[in-house]
Amino acid sequence: MMDWLKRVRNYWSSGSRTGYVMVAPAILVLLIFNIIPLFASFGISLLDVNVLFNNPKFVGIQNYLEAFRTPRFWNSLKNTFIFTFLEVPCQMVIGLALAAVLTRNKWVNKLFRSIYFLPIICSATAVGIMWQLILNSNIGYVSWMLRSIGLPKISFLKDPEIAMYTVIFMSVWRSFGISTIIFVAGMQEVPAELYESADLDGASKFREFFSITLPGIIPTIYFVLITRLIGSMQVFDLIFVTTGGGPNFRTETMVNYIYSRAFSSDTRLGYATAMSECLFAIILIISILFYRRMLKDEQA
Amino acid sequence: MKQKRKLGSFIKFMILSFVAAIILLPVLWMFFSSFRAAKEIISWPPKFLPHEWVFDNYRKVFKRAPMMTYIKNSAIFAVSTTCLSCMINSFAGYAFARLHFRGKNVLFTMCLMTMMIPFQVTMIPLFTMINKMGIYDTWAGLILPRMAGVMGIFMMRAFFVGLPLELEEAGRIDGLTDYGIFARIMLPLAKPALVTQIVLGLNGAWNDLLYPLLMTSNVRMRMLSNGVALFVGQDTTDYGPAFAAGVVSMLPMLLLYLFGQRYFVEGTATSGLKG
Repeated sequence: MMDWLKRVRNYWSSGSRTGYVMVAPAILVLLIFNIIPLFASFGISLLDVNVLFNNPKFVGIQNYLEAFRTPRFWNSLKNTFIFTFLEVPCQMVIGLALAAVLTRNKWVNKLFRSIYFLPIICSATAVGIMWQLILNSNIGYVSWMLRSIGLPKISFLKDPEIAMYTVIFMSVWRSFGISTIIFVAGMQEVPAELYESADLDGASKFREFFSITLPGIIPTIYFVLITRLIGSMQVFDLIFVTTGGGPNFRTETMVNYIYSRAFSSDTRLGYATAMSECLFAIILIISILFYRRMLKDEQA
Repeated sequence: MKQKRKLGSFIKFMILSFVAAIILLPVLWMFFSSFRAAKEIISWPPKFLPHEWVFDNYRKVFKRAPMMTYIKNSAIFAVSTTCLSCMINSFAGYAFARLHFRGKNVLFTMCLMTMMIPFQVTMIPLFTMINKMGIYDTWAGLILPRMAGVMGIFMMRAFFVGLPLELEEAGRIDGLTDYGIFARIMLPLAKPALVTQIVLGLNGAWNDLLYPLLMTSNVRMRMLSNGVALFVGQDTTDYGPAFAAGVVSMLPMLLLYLFGQRYFVEGTATSGLKG
């Protein structure tokens, strides 16, 4: 018995087999739970099927055509774009500005950085609960402050004109610290000599920021931009716990719509999957465009 | 000139403090409000500090919802996925960094590509698959798909690539196999990278909303992040327990942040440099 065990061990220790043994668990998990579902999703998007997967019916590209005919689909797409194209620039500009001020490793700067980074530990639920209560028009502190300076009562999450901006604000609140930290790390890599010679030339701090710092961290900017764009296109949780897509679907994004079609009422997995395929395509196109820009800029 | 510099840094400090206040005040206000009596919460104008500190809200939260079950479930999910994925990711990270085997590049590219797949594309097939495998609403169904993560593999690979070759040779002279070199020499050196991964992994799993929402339906399997969401909604009128529930859900990760802040920051900062 021991002999047999030893033989097995020797077999799997020799040559390149060690490598296979060590990557096998990770590859298996990724294959079974990421790659196979990806391919399965293309198939499911061609079926008409409910959540229990009882008698699936093949319907071809009907699900896609139906999505393109549905106003709620276009509405959720529009909301996703509004969210993404306001949230990402906001938090990048805030992150860049704060990082520029906090680049050096002084203890005050470190303190500020760790304060800004704090929301990383807040779940969407916690952020949602917190802001819903602070903005609550009956008991909220913000409502009270606004009223004490003479502004009218505002229902931040119930007013259809404002709700989306409130959600964007909460999202920026939650994640600008992450961008700040990544930008700081990038800025610290910019060679100090560049600043020294600029100082000798009498360049102002603003000038230095735009002509040394920013060009110096282009790869970092692209990294944050691409990851944040992809993340924002998939926004779900903050909206799910605060507005639930309302009022009047004004904050319903793609993933919120997909989730509700797949799992809440009158479940239709095929239709929902077809929509997620559309979102996947959009994300893929955006990533490829930005990656190509990035590679071009790096060569230049 | 000097005067101007001083004024400049004062303004800078004021702006930084203002931003810090926007982060901290809501959290503090929620914390203080969770200790307010019901009467005081709805009194107008709202105060920042509680007039009288009471624990009613916490008692209500724990009475109304199976909070202990939620906390236990979140802890089991976070700890088990983090431990398992740390192990599996460091195996893979090490193999990709230091070992030679055929197909290594193909496999590594495959890992890279899974990073491009958004979760919402795979979530429905994954849900169906877990259902068909009969492990829906079980720990197996929750934990298995989260046993490895591409980010973790990359982080460990980046760390192991940076270690000197001499270490490996020294191990080989001592007659260690590749496994021995990994377990006895390399892994102990990787402690900082491992801790970073553990901290970020615990935080990510604890705060995850969509994934546990998808993979469980039974109240007994529910986690804190979605259980607590029930305390506040469009028609909430009893606000006290909502404050307390928010605090309870944040507390464990807040403690983790206070002790492991360095790892949070370093883990996030280096993610951008590799890109």
